[in-house]
Amino acid sequence: MEDSPALWISGLRKVFGSTVAVDDVGLTVPRGSFFGLVGPNGAGKTTSLSMCVGLLRPDAGSVRIFGADVWADPVRAKELVGVLPDGLALPERLTGRELLTYTGLLRGLAPDTVAERADELLRVLELTEAERTLVIDYSAGMRKKIGLATALLHAPKLLVLDEPFEAVDPVSGATIRTILQRFVHAGGAVVLSSHVMELVEKLCDHVAVITRGRVVASGPVEQVRGDRTLEEAFVHLVGGRTGGGEGLSWLAS
Amino acid sequence: MVGVLIRMKLRVLSHSLGGRRGVSYAIGGLVGLVAAVVSAGFVISHPGGPEVGTTIAAALAAAWTLGWLFGPVLTGGGDETLRPENFALLPVPPTRLAFGMLAASLVGVPPVATLIAFAGLVVAALSYGAGAVVVAVLAVLLQLALAVLLSRVVIAALGAVLGSRRGKDLGVLLAAFVGLAYVPARFAIEALAPLIVGQSSPVFTSVLLDLPTGWGADAVGAAARADWAVAIGLLLALAVLDGLLVLAWARLLTRRLTVPQAAGRGRAAKTGTERVRRVLLPVSPVGAVVGKELRVWWRDARRRAMLLTSIVIGIFIPVFSSAGRSGIFMLPFAALWIVFFASLQATNLYGFDGSAVWHTLVMPGAARADVRGRQVAWLLIVAPVALLAALVLPGVTGDTTAYPWVLAIVPAMLGASAGVMLVLSVLAPYPMPAQRGGNPFAAGGRPGCSRALLQLGTTLLQFVCAIPAVALLLIGQFDALPVLNWLAVPVGLACGLLAAWWGGRIAYQRLAERGPELLGAVRAPA
Repeated sequence: MEDSPALWISGLRKVFGSTVAVDDVGLTVPRGSFFGLVGPNGAGKTTSLSMCVGLLRPDAGSVRIFGADVWADPVRAKELVGVLPDGLALPERLTGRELLTYTGLLRGLAPDTVAERADELLRVLELTEAERTLVIDYSAGMRKKIGLATALLHAPKLLVLDEPFEAVDPVSGATIRTILQRFVHAGGAVVLSSHVMELVEKLCDHVAVITRGRVVASGPVEQVRGDRTLEEAFVHLVGGRTGGGEGLSWLAS
Repeated sequence: MVGVLIRMKLRVLSHSLGGRRGVSYAIGGLVGLVAAVVSAGFVISHPGGPEVGTTIAAALAAAWTLGWLFGPVLTGGGDETLRPENFALLPVPPTRLAFGMLAASLVGVPPVATLIAFAGLVVAALSYGAGAVVVAVLAVLLQLALAVLLSRVVIAALGAVLGSRRGKDLGVLLAAFVGLAYVPARFAIEALAPLIVGQSSPVFTSVLLDLPTGWGADAVGAAARADWAVAIGLLLALAVLDGLLVLAWARLLTRRLTVPQAAGRGRAAKTGTERVRRVLLPVSPVGAVVGKELRVWWRDARRRAMLLTSIVIGIFIPVFSSAGRSGIFMLPFAALWIVFFASLQATNLYGFDGSAVWHTLVMPGAARADVRGRQVAWLLIVAPVALLAALVLPGVTGDTTAYPWVLAIVPAMLGASAGVMLVLSVLAPYPMPAQRGGNPFAAGGRPGCSRALLQLGTTLLQFVCAIPAVALLLIGQFDALPVLNWLAVPVGLACGLLAAWWGGRIAYQRLAERGPELLGAVRAPA
């Protein structure tokens, strides 16, 4: 426990019907690191992250959060991690504050602590104005922000965030970036998935490239990208090439 | 355009009918086809002359058209295989799009079943000569178009009205009450059948024939009398009506495609009762879940509608069955029906949450609090209503001997329901329609036949739980020992508590072990 990594994944595998979504994925997220998971659409990012936090049962492999096995010792592991999934609903018919209060009490926090933290989170994430709006009426960006607030509420040591910047406006995006950077500086670890390479390059110190369910590169950002930009390295790694140069002669002729 | 849309619909249907969905679709289709053949049979052979046949055909056409109107509202269906939004950017005038969508709507099992049901008219016309047959064929086609178009236009109009979230909430209530209408409808059919067959009410018969749904049958009747002017006139009128409906549908399509769905910013949530809740509910994980559940039961229109309808049905059924026949007077026992229906409707609690279940799963050890909280919240809502009915109705109806019975069985059933509903919610969950966006009537997955059986079987456990109390009551009754009768009340309560505790335990252990599978089961298909 003392020096186990923030997140350790080994031999993770998930098969849906005849599709192998995740195939022998292994990763180590060191403590205090800002870890980016990048990959093309359908590469298995969301599937992998869901298995890391106990939302999807893997066919094989194991996941440990600070040494606690997510599937064998779920209570300990879940105490340490904050989760923001992508594309899942929230308890929709609560207001933002009610959602945070409910989450905090269900996690067993003291009511005063919950009230104080909810206040601060709503203020910092600029959700105070929407105080009395139900989550079902939130915009996509606001949903990301309230989701992040529920992930942060219990002061986790590891954050697992699936596409946290999607549909978030630039100002809120900057706020979230600052919060996450402070979290890492204070010793927490963040794992986020994204397909915006510039963002990952700017924000993360570690990166893993996943494609067709497999990890094809993993390590410190400088090491993975070499002397190219991360985007060029990514295109090279996933075996793609930038198309669009040939054919289509009828277009705008 | 028409050909492309029909091919597209066939392709989508064939893609979406794999596996279990295909089976349930096939069963539904089979039932529809049998109903159609029976309908057609009634028109072809019946006790009475051609006049009666025409009236029966008109009545059946009206019934099938009503089915097209209310079916989608009731089942949350509405054919959304091809969505007009998919064609919004095509440079096609709306009327042509409406025609294309109409043609595509005519592909599928329901239109074929309707066509068969209506086609009885053609067979019946065979004995009146070739002219009548031609009239009948045209009438059947126009009548089918009328049913499909009416259904499409009404659903589209409702969809336009119910675009906002508050409107959708209204729509859910509307659907719930249409579902209730079957009770009066049964009595209506019992009363009307002799009028149709016996031709005993000329007014009713002429109304049936004067409605557009009767024009086709009327035209065939006119052709049988060689009254060609009337026959052709009625066919023309039907065609014009169909045309007008196509135009109306085109207008509604344009609206659907150009007017954005209202963002539906709901009224701000009330927080005034907050202090009351804080005082009454314990500050604990279970208390937090109870608070959330109470809010959601009230704020989610689907849940509210279910509660309201179960209370209304619970009172309706005893009233109707007491009023209808000379049977036992059941109103004093309405509380039992209320509990029964309220529990029947709450057997997919995690389905209401949909993918939001993840939120519970990521919290350490939250399964127990979640299950217990849901049980308590349901009891807090249903128990007062049921107990009020149990305390008031026997007294009001003057049947005071019912008191020990009701007061003993209600707590047993309440407790058993609170246990059983959680077990079912966890063991046999199914996805519900997504809460945001889309057609207010669009359904997600439907529970299969096996689930319905499971649900029925498990619901019977409620009555098993009441057996000890009922046994005491029976002994008390026969031996005339009022003490035993009243002893049944605490026994019922104890059985109820035990069942709730035990059911909840099974549910939270299962939830903790198989949470990810539950999440997978209730996620609405994208």
